[in-house]
Amino acid sequence: MKSAAFQYSRPETVAEAVALLTAAEGSAMPISGGQSLLILMALRMTMIDRLVDISRLPELRELRDDRSDVFIGASTTHAMIEDGKIPDPSTGLMSRVASRIAYRAIRNLGTIGGSMALADPSADWPACLIALDAEVSIAGPDGQRWEKAEDFVSGAYETILLPGEIVLGFRIARRQSMRWGTAKVSRKSGAFADSMAVFVEAAGDGLPRAALTGTTSHARILPRVGKYAQNRSILDPGDLRAAILDDLAEIVPDADAYQLRCHVATVSRAITDARAS
Amino acid sequence: MTVTHLTINGETISQDINPRESLADFLRERRNLTGTHLGCEHGACGACTVSLDGMVVRSCVVLAVMCEGRKIETIEGTRKSEPMDVIRRHFHEKHALQCGFCTPGMLMMARDIIARYPEPSDSVIRSQLSGQICRCTGYAGIIAAIESAAREIRDAVE
Amino acid sequence: MNSHDGPGRWIGASLLRKEDRRHLLGASTFVADVRIPGMQDIAFARSQLAHARVVSIEKPQGFENKVYTLADLGEIRCLDAGPELATFRTVPYPPLAGDRVRFVGQTVAACIAPTRAEAEDIAQEVLLTGENLPVVIDAVEAIKPGGATLFDGWQDNAFIHATIADGDIASVANAPIQMRRQFKMNRQATAPLETRGVVAYWDERLDELVVYSSTQGPHLMRFGIAQTLGLPEHKVRVIAPDVGGGFGGKNRLMPEEIAVAAIAMKCGHPVRWIEDRREHLIASVHARDHYYDFTLYAENTGRVLGLKGELFVDAGAYSLWPSGPYMESSMAARNLPGPYRIEHLHVETHTVATNKTPLGPYRGVARPGACFAIERAMDELAHELGMDPVELRRINLVRATDMPYHTIGGLILDTGDYPGALEAVVDMVDLPAIRARQKQGESDGRRIGVGFAVYTEQSGHGTIEWTKRKSRVVPGYESATVRMLPDGTVHIMVGILNHGQGLETSLAQVAAHELGIDPSQISIRHGDTNATPFGFGTFASRSIVFSGGAVARASSILADKLRKIGAHLLQSPVESVTLRDGAVHAGAASIPISEIARAGNIRPEMLPTDVAPGLEITATYEPPDSGGVFSYGVHAAVVAADPDTGVVEILQYAVAEDCGTMINPMIVDGQIIGGIAQGIGTALYEESPYDPSGEPLATTFGDYMMPCAPEIPRIDIRHFVSPAHNTLHGVKGMGEGGAIAPPATIANALSDAFRDIGAKFAETPMTPRRVSEAVARARGDAV
Ligand SMILES: Cc1cc2nc3c(=O)[nH]c(=O)nc-3n(C[C@H](O)[C@H](O)[C@H](O)COP(=O)(O)OP(=O)(O)OC[C@H]3O[C@@H](n4cnc5c(N)ncnc54)[C@H](O)[C@@H]3O)c2cc1C
Ligand code: FES
Ligand code: FES
Repeated sequence: MKSAAFQYSRPETVAEAVALLTAAEGSAMPISGGQSLLILMALRMTMIDRLVDISRLPELRELRDDRSDVFIGASTTHAMIEDGKIPDPSTGLMSRVASRIAYRAIRNLGTIGGSMALADPSADWPACLIALDAEVSIAGPDGQRWEKAEDFVSGAYETILLPGEIVLGFRIARRQSMRWGTAKVSRKSGAFADSMAVFVEAAGDGLPRAALTGTTSHARILPRVGKYAQNRSILDPGDLRAAILDDLAEIVPDADAYQLRCHVATVSRAITDARAS
Repeated sequence: MTVTHLTINGETISQDINPRESLADFLRERRNLTGTHLGCEHGACGACTVSLDGMVVRSCVVLAVMCEGRKIETIEGTRKSEPMDVIRRHFHEKHALQCGFCTPGMLMMARDIIARYPEPSDSVIRSQLSGQICRCTGYAGIIAAIESAAREIRDAVE
Repeated sequence: MNSHDGPGRWIGASLLRKEDRRHLLGASTFVADVRIPGMQDIAFARSQLAHARVVSIEKPQGFENKVYTLADLGEIRCLDAGPELATFRTVPYPPLAGDRVRFVGQTVAACIAPTRAEAEDIAQEVLLTGENLPVVIDAVEAIKPGGATLFDGWQDNAFIHATIADGDIASVANAPIQMRRQFKMNRQATAPLETRGVVAYWDERLDELVVYSSTQGPHLMRFGIAQTLGLPEHKVRVIAPDVGGGFGGKNRLMPEEIAVAAIAMKCGHPVRWIEDRREHLIASVHARDHYYDFTLYAENTGRVLGLKGELFVDAGAYSLWPSGPYMESSMAARNLPGPYRIEHLHVETHTVATNKTPLGPYRGVARPGACFAIERAMDELAHELGMDPVELRRINLVRATDMPYHTIGGLILDTGDYPGALEAVVDMVDLPAIRARQKQGESDGRRIGVGFAVYTEQSGHGTIEWTKRKSRVVPGYESATVRMLPDGTVHIMVGILNHGQGLETSLAQVAAHELGIDPSQISIRHGDTNATPFGFGTFASRSIVFSGGAVARASSILADKLRKIGAHLLQSPVESVTLRDGAVHAGAASIPISEIARAGNIRPEMLPTDVAPGLEITATYEPPDSGGVFSYGVHAAVVAADPDTGVVEILQYAVAEDCGTMINPMIVDGQIIGGIAQGIGTALYEESPYDPSGEPLATTFGDYMMPCAPEIPRIDIRHFVSPAHNTLHGVKGMGEGGAIAPPATIANALSDAFRDIGAKFAETPMTPRRVSEAVARARGDAV
């Protein structure tokens, strides 16, 4: 179980990294924490000519607290977030989510940017960042752009990243009196989720956001659930269930009865968790 | 091949490294530090746990070339280290090992847990040991050893 | 060395382990740590086809001489594997694919390169072209007439059909209660944390083939390798260095070992193959895979009268040397009546070849499945009769007064108090408190259930039992050489292998007891065929009985000699001296063992005339009645299950067990807890499924769920001690027992949790999906 051969570069700047990736025309990949990519390479499921090490680029390690929002660099590790070493726009949600990803030794290297870029259908960050309505900063051959997290992941292991582009980081707005909850079902501790939901609501502004991952496709918002939960302090279990199932019918039409039960459970429990706090 | 400078167990070296070599393979095959074991080579068992700049990592999912300028400590590097000797003694007394294959990784992880949680409860130890596989012991001795080693280390500091 | 119980008396002392130190320092030597100058790595190209006629195997250009196919290995004798029964169909299992591949992962070619990564580069380019054949995947379907077969000339896919019966099952045909049930224990891996591995080279100085192998039985492997390669046995040396767990999975002669050894004799330099985890999960020994369909016959009172039905064991594509897969079926059938006073048994067994990885032994061998089936059935019967499952067991269990009890499965339960152990666990989990809690319900919507299961563990079985099984190799004895050196310290060479069981400590305790010296003065040596007397290895919970017996016997013969020499040196009659505390004593006078050892080894002139010089004794041992002695126990689990997601948490786990005299109680507890953790893996997490095309679906630890610390609860143990009559010190083997009962115990607890709706838990592992589906099915919801 050893990786095939490849070349290795460690550029000094984002521009250099983008140039290297662009020049390789798809035969190069960036590596950040390596906690997913190196496994795929060891299994020879991913074979590439060149690895571009972006783990030390200063831009990707940036952490900025701009009062109304927070910028978290793509190379921020799960462990830093778990340990509260970032300015936290989420009143603890991100730390909770981070602490339940894989295992500590993996969290010490695995990054939030790598996780989003990989877009594993069971990964935790996509659901969390979508629920927080984060924006993704992307650098590429044509300069820098912002996209909504919700639009960024587009399928199982699919994002809207174009060849040569890398994720710089995430902008997350601070909200007034935010409440959040999360629930996860997996076959054992630390394993990828079979279902994982994050629920976020804030005073006044907009719909509550329920996001779900662990489906056959990518993390998604459940709009009907948000609408149902809005301004309703007591939820009728039957109505909530109906709202969840309506959303599921649309976003995971291929889910079987067991998956539906899990999704209903995690979404409902994420809301309960939020409202209990 | 990429010339890489790194410090292993206190010794700074520079060596030509094939980019595809994992840190675990580099340590085992090129530095003959075979105390770091491989149980899965895909980040899921913890047998290969080493310390990288003071934090635990799984050396099978680290590229040696990416360790440029960094400090690595393996089980061999802990042979004369204070807290590790205490932890080792508690592993011995609590029957925390059978075949011993998971032991070096467990010890590296145990030291890290105790550093982050000076007073770890049973449930903290269990959740921190998640993903750290021992096929033999059923974990009881390992948990007991970490709990009592933490106590001794704490008492020594106070 | 410290001891919990004080020094002096070594039998029964929780002596801390002698073998810990090297592991704690990271200084042990596992096979992957062996360094031989010039060594190169081997990677295997493996079949991606489940069943195909081989058309061609193409070597990548430029690497022709780095790639070995079967034809390049020279003459290979495929050993007949399986019982010596005319009804058992033997088939050759070539080390590299011949004209057919029969499972995904079968070795096709071996590729050599300076590093494993480069060897994999070559292996990836080896091209197997095959003509696909129909894939046989379901053991029950596979023996229906007219289907496709794995082997030409077979009428169906059974290695063997055999009936295990006793009593007169027809006599209970009119029993008032007849309950038919089906149970399935799915396939899994053995998954020691250290995978398998082989290093092989020709040693020019000794003129022999040296094979380092992560195996449980180096002597048997030497025999097997020599036979296969056509070498005289004195030209083969097998060394098992530190072995990182075995659990049965490292006790078969596997194709990789043969191929690597054969290549070492051809390529002119040392070679090594270290199994990676994916290879392990796909192509190493698989285990379990039983399907039961049987009827229990009972009276209205709950007395069980008979059991009749069928057992299918999905054996995979080949039979592994030496024992093959029938042992799994016959043992399961014979253990199916459990420790119950059932008088009529009729089980038709089918040991079936399928296009899956060959089946081998795994901790508990056969019995976890049998225990799951009978213990689940007992609970179901209790439900049918409206009885408490504990009460039903009280009515049927073999009683202390029945001992020795001949079960209808042909096993002789020798000593113990089975009902007493049952009452003990009922007490440990506080059954009334759980019933009260169940009445209240849980605020989080989960269900609480409590389950019990009884098991027995045959151990110390020798010639009688293995000849009954028609075994090709009869592990009827063990041997030990005890050598006292001139300073009075001791080397003991044994033919078994320590791979985590603490035998370097417990065997030293046994010898210390006989020799009257401290265990720290004794080193146990094992694992090298050139350095140890012949032995069969460590498996089947046999080492403490057999090897402990051999060590005790050789030590006691040596002790006699020490007394004789000591008496002579003290000028006292030998009847008047005692050997203890490192000296021979005659009244107030004494002479230290070191003096005696000096005389015995290097000062022969000091010896009495009728004592030959030298202090080395080799002895063998087999218990007087080799039908085996039985450890037993009762497990209890309290679980909480989420009816929607199916996630199960074990809240409490208790064991009352009896393994006779304990040499080292600390090690005994370690074995129990470790075994239970594996049993919990079988119960809830571990599974090696295949898709209908024969593709294995659990190929990494991402899909194959290994239980970790959060999954394993605290385990409370209470010991009963009923010494065996038949063994030295009354010991019984106990290495496997922990793994036998957890699937049954946990399934019974789940079924208790959902007893009101009658959810059925009849298949392992009880993953969240299976649990949730069982609940949905019982509720009439969509599954
Ligand atoms: C045993 C184990 C269990 C795990 N369990 C979980 C779990 O439960 N939940 C979970 O969410 N994750 C889990 N993970 C995955 C873990 O969170 C990874 O760290 C994460 O998915 C990838 O982050 P990384 O920094 O390691 O990325 P890498 O492995 O370095 O890269 C992953 C992918 O992203 C690309 N990439 C990396 N950084 C960027 C960037 N800045 N811009 C563009 N592309 C980039 C790479 O090219 C690659 O394709 C687990 C991993 C392991 C080994
Ligand atoms: S070998 Fe690295 S985690 Fe298993
Ligand atoms: S002691 Fe064997 S794996 Fe932990």
